[in-house]
Amino acid sequence: MSRPSKRRTTGLTAGLLIGPATFLVMGALVTPLLLLARYSLNRYDRTNFMVEALTPENYLRFFYDPFYTGVLWTTLWIALVTTVLCLVLGFPIAYRLARSQSRWKSVGVLLVILPLFIGSTVRALGWMGVLGRGGLVDSTVAALSPGSSFPLLYTPFAVVVGILSINLPYMVLTLQSVIEGIDARVEEAADSLGADPSRRFWHVVLPLALPGLATGGVLVFILAMNAYATPLLLGGARFQMMAPMLFREYAVNNNWPFAAAIAFILMVTTLTLTAASSAFVQRRYKAA
Amino acid sequence: MAGIAAASEGAAPARASTPAVVHRRVSAAAVLVWGLIATGVLAMAVPLVMTAYISLFRDAVVVFPPSGYSVSWYARILEFPRFGDALGTSLRIAAMATLGSLALGIPASLALVRYRFLGRGLLNVLLLSPLTVPGVVIGLSIYVLVVETEIATEVPLIGSDLVLVLAHLLITVPWVIRLCVANLVGLDRSVEEAAANLGARPWSVLWRVTLPMMRQGIVAAALFAFIVSFENIEMTLFLIAPGQTTLPISVLQYLEYKVDPLVAAVVMVQTLVIAGLLLLLDRYVKLSRIV
Repeated sequence: MSRPSKRRTTGLTAGLLIGPATFLVMGALVTPLLLLARYSLNRYDRTNFMVEALTPENYLRFFYDPFYTGVLWTTLWIALVTTVLCLVLGFPIAYRLARSQSRWKSVGVLLVILPLFIGSTVRALGWMGVLGRGGLVDSTVAALSPGSSFPLLYTPFAVVVGILSINLPYMVLTLQSVIEGIDARVEEAADSLGADPSRRFWHVVLPLALPGLATGGVLVFILAMNAYATPLLLGGARFQMMAPMLFREYAVNNNWPFAAAIAFILMVTTLTLTAASSAFVQRRYKAA
Repeated sequence: MAGIAAASEGAAPARASTPAVVHRRVSAAAVLVWGLIATGVLAMAVPLVMTAYISLFRDAVVVFPPSGYSVSWYARILEFPRFGDALGTSLRIAAMATLGSLALGIPASLALVRYRFLGRGLLNVLLLSPLTVPGVVIGLSIYVLVVETEIATEVPLIGSDLVLVLAHLLITVPWVIRLCVANLVGLDRSVEEAAANLGARPWSVLWRVTLPMMRQGIVAAALFAFIVSFENIEMTLFLIAPGQTTLPISVLQYLEYKVDPLVAAVVMVQTLVIAGLLLLLDRYVKLSRIV
């Protein structure tokens, strides 16, 4: 078999192997997104719902109305706060799990994996019981000082706590696998060269784990920007984030062109921020 | 002489005190670290423990402290077919999506790792891209395409298994590819080369050597595909029809109106079943090593 024909057969095999998956992504992601982009330029009207047009008015309406830009800001800061909390709370747990030699390690990992299998509604339900009116915190406060109430449900705090508890396992698992990839002997070397634990953390462990922190951070940031059930159930009717707002425009107001515009604003914001943060980390990593 | 002796005597306690200071600072840091660990563990555990606790309340309304405890809500789940039907739909869709995503994802990851071809890097990005697009955006865009297709072909598609499975394949295939690629990269290629050198045909190398070596990656991929499909809300919301609802969505719709021990019991049954499956799986493949 001559070389070019062999190359052609491997190319054909590779094409057959990867073709179906590519076809799926083109058909179920790329094509629908192109259609949605076209919809976002259409006009909405109360009687006909959607009128074919070529207008930027849906995007302009979003950026000129302080209500909608406010929702975008709320979504961004909730996502940022929960991502930072996930990093701060996830790292110590991931480190303990990764460096553990104990036979309980697999039990610990299993306990982190388990919540991943349980939908976000379950976590929301639990927090509703803790934070709601007549819930655990509220009734404890009422029992300690009669007459007062302390409902935390339907506040941004409840939403942050809810998203945190859903995203934290993803962060712990990502970081755990990254830390396990860091040779423990590097840390022992730092120890034997006289670095104290905090120096060892800031100058050895953290720089080596930085790409993993970026991966985990991007993952939980996307999950938080995308959050639907948690803001809906824990934030209440007056608290708005992008995903529930998009669904309401589609399902309640039947305004598909505007829902399409919100979809693209949400997607472009998420992608821009994640790309920027990966680029930043990559540059830092090369410099270090 | 005396001066030097005094100086060295004075220096000795100072030198001895340095480790003590470091030790105190380290223990403060240790307290902080343990505080962070405890907070993180509480954040993950509290909602689940709370849900389990509420499911045992006797009253239909959630009040603290409850007037009593009972397991009768678990027995009453069967009186509410909306949850049973939704669970059936969820399991059916997740099972089909898992099998389908393995069928599409394993060959794709083999191509990405074992072959060199034009556009490989680009295809890698494209195939993983569904992970970075928000679920509500995917849901709305697929809905819009399905509606256009319905109008063009006059075949009712919204709420059909076909559309749900195809949509779930889109979000499960990238996970399968991601896990299988990571697994394949770590495998020793020389075993496959040895098999080929000993005269095994490419197909039997794949079937007898590569796939068995990928076993852990495939199990992890199947597991993740199942989770991703089973717990998806954001995308699925746009594609369900009345009477064709998945379990997480029917729980969500219920919770928008009320929280009661019944819905907590429904969710606990689901959790216990999944926990049981996970523990069973952990006996064959160490979950701590594959996820």
